[in-house]
Amino acid sequence: MNAVSPISANGAVEITKDDAMAIARQETVLSPRFYTTDYDAMDKIDVSGVRAEWDSLIAEMQADPNKKHFKRTPEFDGVIAAMDPELKPEFIDFLVSSMTSEFSGCILYAEITKRMKNPDAKALFKLMARDESRHAGFINDSLKDAGIGIDLGFLTKTKKYTFFRPKFIFYATYLSEKIGYARYITIHRHLEKHPEKRFHPIFKWFQEWCNDEFRHGEAFALLMRADPKLTSGLNVLWIRFFLNAVYATMYVRDHKRPVLYKHFGIDPTDFGFKVFRITTDITQQVFPIGLQTDAPSYRALLETMRTTSDAIDAAAAQGGLIGSIKRIGLSLKAAATFARLYLHPVDKLAVTPNVRMAPVW
Amino acid sequence: MGLFTRDRLDTQCTIEIEHTFDNLHAHVELDGDVELGPGDQVKVHGAAVRLPFGERLTLRRDVTVWKATPFERLWTKLKAQLELTELYEITFSSEKP
Repeated sequence: MNAVSPISANGAVEITKDDAMAIARQETVLSPRFYTTDYDAMDKIDVSGVRAEWDSLIAEMQADPNKKHFKRTPEFDGVIAAMDPELKPEFIDFLVSSMTSEFSGCILYAEITKRMKNPDAKALFKLMARDESRHAGFINDSLKDAGIGIDLGFLTKTKKYTFFRPKFIFYATYLSEKIGYARYITIHRHLEKHPEKRFHPIFKWFQEWCNDEFRHGEAFALLMRADPKLTSGLNVLWIRFFLNAVYATMYVRDHKRPVLYKHFGIDPTDFGFKVFRITTDITQQVFPIGLQTDAPSYRALLETMRTTSDAIDAAAAQGGLIGSIKRIGLSLKAAATFARLYLHPVDKLAVTPNVRMAPVW
Repeated sequence: MGLFTRDRLDTQCTIEIEHTFDNLHAHVELDGDVELGPGDQVKVHGAAVRLPFGERLTLRRDVTVWKATPFERLWTKLKAQLELTELYEITFSSEKP
């Protein structure tokens, strides 16, 4: 942290004419959630079983090879303003949701850093908060071009702290960092082959960006491998839950951005299955199971999930009593479909002997 | 800690915000060693904070913490089990507005 601004006595910030202009413009409301966890359990994390790999990863992150990586170049100027009007709202939505995710990750990691005493884990979470803040800044810069500012209103609203057990934080963030890598690298590789589809220069930085995500995932993999209980016994059922929940959510949401994928020249269904395959290859470093995402029966269930979600949206738009009744019925159908996804057979995998992997996809 | 009433704690905090190309973050640090637990609520007082692009700011503000009752603590923990999906939003795209 490198705050250099003077401390204002009462915290009042004078609203100038420029600010008033900014208020009139569109703003992204940042509304992160605040979490606590079992910090005593977190402090007991012992990475001695994976010490060599752990130290080399932390050293790599501290060396910070990406420090000055993200750059603003003249080619960013005016791209969003000149963008196809059909594409523009979906692309902006994509940037906003990515930035919000990075910002929320930054807050979560910073909160954990503040409360932890265990030096190994504390060092890690601090470095990850740094990266997330950097990513959020980089994405925000492109949003600024579109005349979209940020609304920090959450700072002065009442914040309620919720609670998640450490293992849930590990499974969920590990998986989202790794699937985030798989998503961005798949888009990056596609645009390398089809540069004419690269409609915004931010995609040129996707490889560096997703390598950071990959590294964060590596750290969580080491944390989990350091405590074998986390990936065995009944906990495998939790892993299965998170895998299904994350895959199904991604599949449904990607199909809700058809214009974005049309402009990439990517079919969202093919994209999803490619990302799932990469994610399964990677998660074999720690998870003893993999979902059968290439099985026609599993794919059919994902499709049912997608069409049910679309029908729920349509019922919500319809409104009224009929719409509400439809929504209840369809939500039950979605829950039943999720249960079938969960119960679909899985592949048992032998975890890789070494934990660390290279981002070679 | 009251069984049915929330304990109130008034203190100050430091807010550190950066809104630049290199970083976008906002952190609130409470004075003293206040441990926040499940269901606790925190309210930073004063006007809404605004920070134009390209600037960093460190603010001192009054803050109130309401500690959750044992019942609220338990309820927050139970409810969180149903909100697990929130967790993978952290680095994954959020819902379309």
